[in-house]
Amino acid sequence: MHDPSDPIELVTRALAAYDELVALAEEVEDEWSYVQDLAGAWRAELERAGAEAAPGAAAAIDRLADEVTGITDPHRAIDWLSTYPQAVLLALGVDPWAAA
Amino acid sequence: MRFQDAVPDARAVTYARIQADPLVTAAAEALADATPAERLLARAVMNGETLDAGGWRTAFPTLFASGREPHELARAERVLAASLAVAERGAGVRDQFRGAIVEALTVILLARRAGPAVQRERRILFDGVRSEVHPYDVTVERPGAAEAHDCKWGARGINADVLHQLDDARAHAADEGERLSVGLVVFDAARSCQVRLAAQTAPTAGIGLVTLETLERLAREPAP
Repeated sequence: MHDPSDPIELVTRALAAYDELVALAEEVEDEWSYVQDLAGAWRAELERAGAEAAPGAAAAIDRLADEVTGITDPHRAIDWLSTYPQAVLLALGVDPWAAA
Repeated sequence: MRFQDAVPDARAVTYARIQADPLVTAAAEALADATPAERLLARAVMNGETLDAGGWRTAFPTLFASGREPHELARAERVLAASLAVAERGAGVRDQFRGAIVEALTVILLARRAGPAVQRERRILFDGVRSEVHPYDVTVERPGAAEAHDCKWGARGINADVLHQLDDARAHAADEGERLSVGLVVFDAARSCQVRLAAQTAPTAGIGLVTLETLERLAREPAP
């Protein structure tokens, strides 16, 4: 049965928006390698998350995904490559800065 | 080794006006006592498209949960209000404000440890060494315990020029038998900074790194 607050589903939704963000950020050719490395580091953290979603996580992730998928400027997308996964992890109740 | 005011060129005059804007001060003061999560909220709002406060409260449920203590809710609301005030200035202006906010925040935190020894936009001069064109964002000017900090809004701001400037200053000070701690203050996660630093060929050893989640360190201890 479909559960919008299922942690695995939340992470899947968050990652789909992140992939859109990465695709936009890749348009900055000079930063292509940085974009790949940065996205790889945070994607791994997102993939590890999701054992249990905190209250409000589903609405938070929808709001954050709306925010980043509305971006059209690739430079701003690079800024969000770091901010977005941290905010998603916080919403899931995971410490984004653990063992950095 | 000696410190000197930077020559006020057109950029410096423009930037001084931004630094003096009450919005910069309000944001820096709100962030000085904020938690890492509240600082992340500020980063998101000042990077964001939406100016809807309710939307940001939805995006950061752990900061605005009804079960939080009133003083915690008030602190998060203060950060949100200050960040929205900056975001409302528009994309072009907020880019300039964000850098100034990180510098102002750095000054506030360093001043808790070093008081009036904290200065902004200063050059560091060494005997027989051509001085750098760009001043250091924030310095702590104390004999035997001097510091130079470069402030960045995001990890992407870390580049070879910045690293060389900090490393050169540290090395020149050592040549003169002086101790100069140098560091980067980045309003971004350590993980993102480490990714950026890993791709640099410029020297990174001996350069301290304070990030969004460890900013309190500025008030407690100098860079290594």
